[in-house]
Amino acid sequence: MSAAALDRQIRPIYDALDTGSNKSAILACNKLLKKHPNLDLLKALKALAYVRSQKVEESLVICDEVLAAKPTDDATLSAMTHVLRGLGRHTDLIKMFEEALKQEPQNEELAAQTFFANVRTGSWKAAQLIATKMHKQFQEVRYIYWNVICAILQANDAATPPNMRTLLYKLAHRLVTSSPTPSYVSADRFYLHLVILRELQLFDEANTLLESDVGKSICATSLLCDELRREIWRMRGLFQEEGQRARQRIIESKDRNWLEFVSVLDAAFPPASSASNGQNGVSAETAGETRDFLAGIAEQDGIRDRSAHLALLELERRSRDHGLSKDPTKLVGLLEKYFRMFGDKACCFEDLQPHMLLDGDDLSRWTTFLESQTSSFVDVPSIQRVINVHKMLRYNLAASQITAELEKTRAAQYMKDYFSGLPLGNDLPDTELQPADALAILTAQAYLSVWKLTGHEAQLYNAAVVLEYALGRSKHAFQMRLLLIQIYRLLGAATLALEHYRSMNVKQVQNDTLSHLILARASTFSTASTGDLTFATECLESSQIYMSNSQETSDFIVRAFTQEKYSMIPDFIAFEDRLDNSLQRDLVKVEHVRMRVTHEQINSELIDMELIELKFIFDRFHHDNRDLDIVLNYQPRVQDTVYNQTLLFDKTPGLGWLWIFLKVYIRALQQASDVDDTVEDKLLIGDRPKQSNDPENKLPLKERLAKRKQEELDELTEDELRFMNYATAMADWLQPYHDYVRPPPAAVLAEASKQTELRTGRPLQGVEIPELTNGSFKKDEEAPPVKDSPEILSTFFDDMKARWLEVVAGGKLPSEALHIATLTQEALILLTIETLRFKPASVVKVHKLGALVQSFKAIRTKAIAVMKEIAAELSKYAEQEGTSERRKAFVEACTGAQSSSQIDSDFVLNVAKRVTDARKKVLEGVGKGILRVCTNHA
Amino acid sequence: MSIVRPFRATDLFKFNNINLDVWTETYGIGFYLNYLSRWPDLCCVQEAPSGRMQGYVIGKAEGTGAEWHGHVTALTVAPEYRRLSLGRKMMGLLEMVSDEIYKGFFVDLYVRCANKVAIGMYEGLGYSVYRRVREYYGSLGLGAGGRDEEDAFDMRKPLSRDPHRRSVRSNGRDVVVSAREVS
Repeated sequence: MSAAALDRQIRPIYDALDTGSNKSAILACNKLLKKHPNLDLLKALKALAYVRSQKVEESLVICDEVLAAKPTDDATLSAMTHVLRGLGRHTDLIKMFEEALKQEPQNEELAAQTFFANVRTGSWKAAQLIATKMHKQFQEVRYIYWNVICAILQANDAATPPNMRTLLYKLAHRLVTSSPTPSYVSADRFYLHLVILRELQLFDEANTLLESDVGKSICATSLLCDELRREIWRMRGLFQEEGQRARQRIIESKDRNWLEFVSVLDAAFPPASSASNGQNGVSAETAGETRDFLAGIAEQDGIRDRSAHLALLELERRSRDHGLSKDPTKLVGLLEKYFRMFGDKACCFEDLQPHMLLDGDDLSRWTTFLESQTSSFVDVPSIQRVINVHKMLRYNLAASQITAELEKTRAAQYMKDYFSGLPLGNDLPDTELQPADALAILTAQAYLSVWKLTGHEAQLYNAAVVLEYALGRSKHAFQMRLLLIQIYRLLGAATLALEHYRSMNVKQVQNDTLSHLILARASTFSTASTGDLTFATECLESSQIYMSNSQETSDFIVRAFTQEKYSMIPDFIAFEDRLDNSLQRDLVKVEHVRMRVTHEQINSELIDMELIELKFIFDRFHHDNRDLDIVLNYQPRVQDTVYNQTLLFDKTPGLGWLWIFLKVYIRALQQASDVDDTVEDKLLIGDRPKQSNDPENKLPLKERLAKRKQEELDELTEDELRFMNYATAMADWLQPYHDYVRPPPAAVLAEASKQTELRTGRPLQGVEIPELTNGSFKKDEEAPPVKDSPEILSTFFDDMKARWLEVVAGGKLPSEALHIATLTQEALILLTIETLRFKPASVVKVHKLGALVQSFKAIRTKAIAVMKEIAAELSKYAEQEGTSERRKAFVEACTGAQSSSQIDSDFVLNVAKRVTDARKKVLEGVGKGILRVCTNHA
Repeated sequence: MSIVRPFRATDLFKFNNINLDVWTETYGIGFYLNYLSRWPDLCCVQEAPSGRMQGYVIGKAEGTGAEWHGHVTALTVAPEYRRLSLGRKMMGLLEMVSDEIYKGFFVDLYVRCANKVAIGMYEGLGYSVYRRVREYYGSLGLGAGGRDEEDAFDMRKPLSRDPHRRSVRSNGRDVVVSAREVS
């Protein structure tokens, strides 16, 4: 058959793969393989179809076959690239290209692919070697720069020792300077050159480059290069020169980049760290001269631009810090002036915040000024002024001024102004934000402050009602939704919180930064135990972004190489790493495991899989990408931020929380699992994730699992701490019995191999299984003597019951009751995980562990008794939530929100109904779920 | 007034206060990285002195021959930073780079025909309607604004390489093309 004819026959396979019809792709491959049994491309495509249909074992066999044949043709290599990446076998991918390149050393494309395979895994040293060879052979200047950036990236790698770092930069420097064309032919090469000079502190050379005409013109058009230039000048202590240059840009080019103004200010007041340079002395003269300059610009710009005005404030503040300000009224005078000019801008409050940290006479003068502003609601700028006055006065409230009564009065005032301002937005389309929105948010924040002061749940209702009303008038005011999510979680109305979260249309990378709003400790509200997978699904969906990251981002790193956009490469790599090792990713993972075990049957498959995944996570170095500043804060500066005030259980789970829960679960799963480290190594497909460089991670796993650090414990709630102690005691107690009963690795591997053979017709590859003598692996030594269960295992459940009663009787928030209920349930499930191994009667008999099993029973009986009580109470609680009395009480509690006649009782009743219904749903669901868990784990 | 600085990949972790706004779309990672890996100099961020992101612009260079030009793909400012001329400054930067680095003949952008405020702003910056693109913003039925909601104006501003203003025309609003014809 001709090549063209074969091509025609293969094309449908690609089409099938492209459209996700993996099955038909496999069938088509099989058909063609009959005619061409040795065609690597067909095998590679078949392996790809298998990978994409999650049939990993089947694909492995073919994949290894193709690799053994050492393919060199483009099509096969490209298909295999997808196969190996799908399997996570990046090391094999590199090897494949290296083998191909050995056979065709003249092939530039192959060389580039080998280079990229190394880039994708961050193997900079290897990549650098290839780039060197490529330059020798193909004489392209760009390969010099590939080499340069790889040297820099290798130097920046945390695993590279410091002395090596300098050497690598020196190498990079030599490469750049010996390049046949100068670096300034492109901004990105120029950038790279500057990075090297900055690192090696070769300032003279940097100066020559930057002061050349071409250097100047690059900096004028490239923000990236100009940023570096500014940094280098600062490192050299050239604050005066930089200040002069900035003045020139401000005057001649009318540049109003705030960075230029910072440069002007730094010339007068150089940052303390670099003031060693004698010529940078601070004096009243320079400060005065700078003030004149800025005042001139401010005069010129008027209200067209805020830069010079704000710079004057900054200058005054710095003068005060240096004791150079003579006129004590000056700062407040500037604040007043700024407010008069820009008080009608939404950002005025944010602009002035750092300059408003006032006390004494300053504060009283500033407060008098703000209070003297007359409120007007005739147009949008006037409302904006009213809003700014409220925000600024509120910001500087003293602790003595923050009482429940005063805060209620303020809430009423904010709300009154809200309704005065609301008509101005009547004609705006639905899609626009209302100009008065901030007043409703201020009202809600004042109510939240009252709640914090009094602990009265009613204040949460008031805040919710005001926000719901305002959201009805301003449908896309996401700041209101953010607060509502916080409030509804506190109230245990989890489905409402989720509704608002979903309305914000969080997608893509935002899942990483924002899902904490709804998924932090979400297992508290999950009713997965009843089969309702809403929150579990939310966990999985929000985690999709991490798959996209590992599939897509490295393609763009490669692209940045081919496009020679070197300035972007380190940042792309940082982005990929931060997303891949995201703290939120693994917090969600742990929450998902906690939900999963309430829903699914605990068996060895679940145990082994979660164990391996959690152990991987335990080796990571995490990055916290969560956006914890998204909720705008208008609380007084002496108070906590509104976001912190409204955190569920007053704590946000972070790295410490993650670490504790990982330790608890890894330990339990490890005991329950037959897969020990040696077995895991043999069964693992693909590469292990890169280990973090944390020296603690180098300790033996057993030691790491036993560690409990104070900063980790601090992130736990009181009840989580109890749960952790329970889990630890149980694991310590059962460790010797697990170790005794667990089958030896050889037996586990033999079993795994048998299973693989049953599925794929071939035993496990690459694993040698030692002969077992007639399948028996009974140990020689005696079984460890059975010890009584530690007391804490049974007192735990009593304690949780006591806690339950305390919370319910104390009128605490429903979310707290749910917290106790779900942790108690988790404790029972953990018992199942820990004791699954001892379930078969034969195991107990052979190992003479009858007495041990008896003590499990006692704990289990106790646990189930307590849980049934809690479940009964939950259902009572839920019933109450569903009554009209409950709704009436809600409405009556909202006196504040109804004080303006605009929010009528029907509206409040509607909110009451939705909140109590949502609460009823979760209370009832969790209660029913507990009963089901009791049955499943009896 | 604000800090003007390059757009970086890691800014995707920080842009929520801009992107939660209903008018700003959040695309997949690939969208942003594609632009940054090809036209990093046509992308920039504005940031408040407090470090909070205020807005950003994402652009590219495209076209052949006399159609070679800079294109504004996305320009957005967070609600609390509007009416401060931030958009104007970012457009200025994009035009300067399109002119001096890419040597384009013009800069163009698409805007919803119903978005009078934005159209006014672009006209103030020297842009004019080159053509009307039918159903550019999807054809999911007509909203309150009728055709103006789903049609886009393709607006252009000539750069120094086009001193005779050949890339623009005065009757652009009457020239209607279908979305298929433009890209």
